[in-house]
Amino acid sequence: MRDRLEALRRDGLAAVSESQDLDTLYGVESRLLGRTGALTAELKGLGKLSPEDRPVVGKLANEIKQALQGALDERRTAIESAELAADLAGEGLDPSLPGSNAPKGGVHPVLAIARELEDLFSSMGYVVWDGPEIETEVHNFDALNIPPDHPAREGHDTIWMDVEEGSARRCLRTHTSPVQVRALREFGAPLRVIAPGRVFRQEAQDATHDHTFHQMEGLVVDKGVGVPHMLHAMNSLLEGVFGRKLETRLRPGFFPFVEPGFELDARCPFCKDGCKVCKGSTWIELMPGGLVHPNVLIAAGLDPEEYSGFAFGLGLSRIAMLRYGINDIRWMMGGDLRFLEQFQA
Amino acid sequence: MKISLNWIGDFVDLSGVSAEKVSNLLSLHTAEVEGIEVYGEAIQDVVVGHVVACGQHPDAEKLSVTEVDFGGEENVAVVCGAPNVRVGLKIAFAPVGSSLPGDLKIKKAKLRGQESRGMICSERELEMSEEHDGIMELPEDAPIGVPLIDYLELRDHILELDNKSLTHRPDLWGHYGFARELSALLQRTLKPLPIDVAWPEAKSAWSVQRTDAEGCAVYSALEIELGGAPRNSNPFISRRLLAVGQRLVNDVVDLSNYVMLEIGQPTHAFDASTISGKAIEVRAAQEGESIVTLDGVDRALIPEDLVIADAKQAIALAGVMGGKHTEVSDTTERIVLEAAAFHATRVRRTAHRLALRSEASSRFEKTLDPAYAAEATARFCHLLLQDRPEAKILGVPSISAEPVADSIQLPLDPVKTSKLLGISLREEEMVSMLEGIGFSPVKKGEGYLVKVPSWRSTKDVTLPIDLVEEVGRMFGYDRIVPAALEAPVEVPVQQPQRLLARKLVNRLVLAHAAHETQSYSFLDCAWAERLGRKISDFERLDNPVLAEVSLIRRDPIPSLLEQAAGNLNEFGQGRLCEVAKGYEPQAGIEPLERRWLGVVEWGEKSLPKQGQESLFGRMRGLGEDLMRSVGVAKEQLSIQPQNAELTAPDWAHPVQTLHWSLGGQPLGWSTRVHPQLLRELDFGAHDCSILLFDLEALSVATQDRHPSFETPSRFPGIKVDVALALPDDKSYAEVEIALKKAGGKLLDSLELFDVYTGEGMADGQRSLAFRCLLRAADRTLSDKEEQKFLRKVDFAAIELGGNLRS
Repeated sequence: MRDRLEALRRDGLAAVSESQDLDTLYGVESRLLGRTGALTAELKGLGKLSPEDRPVVGKLANEIKQALQGALDERRTAIESAELAADLAGEGLDPSLPGSNAPKGGVHPVLAIARELEDLFSSMGYVVWDGPEIETEVHNFDALNIPPDHPAREGHDTIWMDVEEGSARRCLRTHTSPVQVRALREFGAPLRVIAPGRVFRQEAQDATHDHTFHQMEGLVVDKGVGVPHMLHAMNSLLEGVFGRKLETRLRPGFFPFVEPGFELDARCPFCKDGCKVCKGSTWIELMPGGLVHPNVLIAAGLDPEEYSGFAFGLGLSRIAMLRYGINDIRWMMGGDLRFLEQFQA
Repeated sequence: MKISLNWIGDFVDLSGVSAEKVSNLLSLHTAEVEGIEVYGEAIQDVVVGHVVACGQHPDAEKLSVTEVDFGGEENVAVVCGAPNVRVGLKIAFAPVGSSLPGDLKIKKAKLRGQESRGMICSERELEMSEEHDGIMELPEDAPIGVPLIDYLELRDHILELDNKSLTHRPDLWGHYGFARELSALLQRTLKPLPIDVAWPEAKSAWSVQRTDAEGCAVYSALEIELGGAPRNSNPFISRRLLAVGQRLVNDVVDLSNYVMLEIGQPTHAFDASTISGKAIEVRAAQEGESIVTLDGVDRALIPEDLVIADAKQAIALAGVMGGKHTEVSDTTERIVLEAAAFHATRVRRTAHRLALRSEASSRFEKTLDPAYAAEATARFCHLLLQDRPEAKILGVPSISAEPVADSIQLPLDPVKTSKLLGISLREEEMVSMLEGIGFSPVKKGEGYLVKVPSWRSTKDVTLPIDLVEEVGRMFGYDRIVPAALEAPVEVPVQQPQRLLARKLVNRLVLAHAAHETQSYSFLDCAWAERLGRKISDFERLDNPVLAEVSLIRRDPIPSLLEQAAGNLNEFGQGRLCEVAKGYEPQAGIEPLERRWLGVVEWGEKSLPKQGQESLFGRMRGLGEDLMRSVGVAKEQLSIQPQNAELTAPDWAHPVQTLHWSLGGQPLGWSTRVHPQLLRELDFGAHDCSILLFDLEALSVATQDRHPSFETPSRFPGIKVDVALALPDDKSYAEVEIALKKAGGKLLDSLELFDVYTGEGMADGQRSLAFRCLLRAADRTLSDKEEQKFLRKVDFAAIELGGNLRS
């Protein structure tokens, strides 16, 4: 038995020192010291020895067990250090290999801006509302103080619906302004509301025109509302879109549903002394607006002596084109992934 | 429209005011100026020259060789082909190195062997008139070497106005209106328009009748004997007209245009000898009537058109264009001058229908002041007699007109005006601003009663609020200081479908790599057939942009499929989503509007047809995740395959269609697209699946849904894998129900991990393998309970016509 134990020590130590990795070492350990290991078996066999031999051989067996255990631990530490060193040396690693492809989705650029503005105006107490895209002539024109024979009502500007004979005329709304009267009828005054949405015009398509595009209407009606409040709302909007305060100026503009009517110009956000966008003038025309015409308030069931208000309209598609440098409006509605991919969530 | 600052200068002194300043004032107070052009720049190199010698070219019969003194260091030799070149003539000379209109650069040249160093110009070459029969002849006292534009005072600034900003201002379609604005803005005197004419005593021989009185508020006709055939306009008139881009015709027509550009009132001259009789009628065109207009085109008319007629026929298309037959020609001796106020809408419609928008029609469209007609007649005569003292006015104008309407009087409330504009102005300041542009305020009570001038009354200023605008724009909108709203902020009402749509789109974009798109609402009529529907199932356009594309979509799927098809060349797979409205006709009432969320995914046909890797299966998983994101667990949903009671959408595959509902409320579908439809849309080697949710229904069904927390069990569960051999006509859904029943409360979760047919399986059988997790909230489960579960599963499998394999 002594010989077997010595052989175990000799072979065991050799096996430990020959082990090159932790798996092998673990195998060696369980072969020697595991539940069914060789040394464990020998230790179990001690009971069969004579009482005289037992302490001597037992002592030897324990010595060998400790020696093997010690060698195993030492070898494990050595292998671990070597592995760590090898890992840190990074042989064969190319840190410049590309990363995995994370899923790429994106929101539509026009709607991205619309949602930013919805958040901005919600925080100022504005309701976000929308109206139907197929609109009645009453809401799209009559209620907005647009005269019955106004050219905008004709087929070369407006896309009309084919309706049953005798029913009221309907069209694809030509602006988001009909929501003014719809929202006022829904909520009454005082009211703050914005209404983003798609609008339609009888228009041949080219780089700057499409028959379908997006606008956002803004309306505030209350007692004592005037031009300074409108200017403040418009300035806030532009600050939201362009991320900084822009110098603006109001000048006259004409729209039947406001009086007085304005155009808001902003200092060109893209240059200091004239560029292609502002056509060298350093101003760009960004937003029409005005005080709500008394006839519109009346159409909405309000008394213009008591209430006043302002309204403005933003060309969302145009703002998106400006902000992202989109050169052709037809990209907007085309669904081309080469376009959509460039806008992230 | 172009306006000349020199011309404006006839009526208001602009000295010391730069063109930029004028442009800025007009933009901020009146109408948008789009650009400033310096007229004369193109010929600024041209100087006054003197022909000091002139002889025949030795080798060319029609050419002369001259010597020209142009104030340079030495005289130069110039070859000239004009018949009127001669010694002693003062000329317009372009020396070597100068440039002329049309990017012409003057260089040293040899003409038939003779050196030529410069060019003697005709008026046409200088863009000063159409004259090109010879070179321009300058007066004898013209100073040699002085730039021509200075000598002739040609330098002018031309402002380009945005016509769209003038549509509501009938007073701004001529120079005088702008002069009025500028006189107020600069606080300088406005000179009256010279219109004095020595009218003859005699009555006119002409009569005027407005049969269609609605179409014409005023008609004035005046016969004038020209005292000589029409000729070229004098240089002053020519230059003015050319500077603002008006083509020259002859002095009579040019003068008519001059008056129009000055006042805004078009007039028309007929050759009097071509008119039958001496009675002029303004009437509606007759059915079947036609007229050959000045441009030589024979135009069929409809009764809405308004015509001017003589005893025989229509002689002009009122407000749009004159007739060819009565045109002023080289031999015209007498003219009849028309000045009228025609109905704005009728003129516009006729001009539009005939694609004949003219300078005249675009002015009549604005509803001109009826008083302009008499003014324009007088101004024409005034200018004509200046230029042609030999002309004779034959009588006073024959006029037929509606009674002059009382002037509009509007109340002005200074306090309210200041408040609305957010400015502080003294009453006197407001009054003087209004007076500056022709309004007449009179103190009345607390405020004022303001008389509106006739040139603003036709449609622009009719309500008290319009006066607020006048005060505001004269004050200057750019001086208004912004102020935040003062009223308290309330929590704004929200449209629940909008919020829901936003959440879902976020989820789609961030978790499912979808791209949100926008597609057109219009569908080609071919879609009706493709979807197996009638045209009358759609809302239809009366005047579509493209004739065939005249349907409004009921939901976004057709347009999303079109967009998917458009991407196939570049992208073998992809996922698009859109929040969109759809419309369905309803008899007698407004169409039904639905809000949809549509998702379309395409990929290679080689993908599995079913299961988690298939497009169809992925779309179901995507839908379940979307529902989870709005608080609805998969177990709460009912997702039913197509059956007799549920109608599948038009584009759906007959078998691979799932109906989604929640608590009995139908929500929408997930489907594979019908392969025939994909074939028609040229999907080729690609397959496609769809998810369509009704946002209205979804928002109702998911209102106030939030996950409710369950405390996880402290006790470990047991994982049990079971495989069942089943007849392959048993659907997964049936098996799942049976397994859930077998597991009862202890079945924590169930996951299908393998579907197998083939070797080892009997014909008509397939194996479904599940990973089941058994768990109880209050104890660790025993082996006995696991065995019991397996027995129940075995029993369930037998009931389904199969058996438990393992």
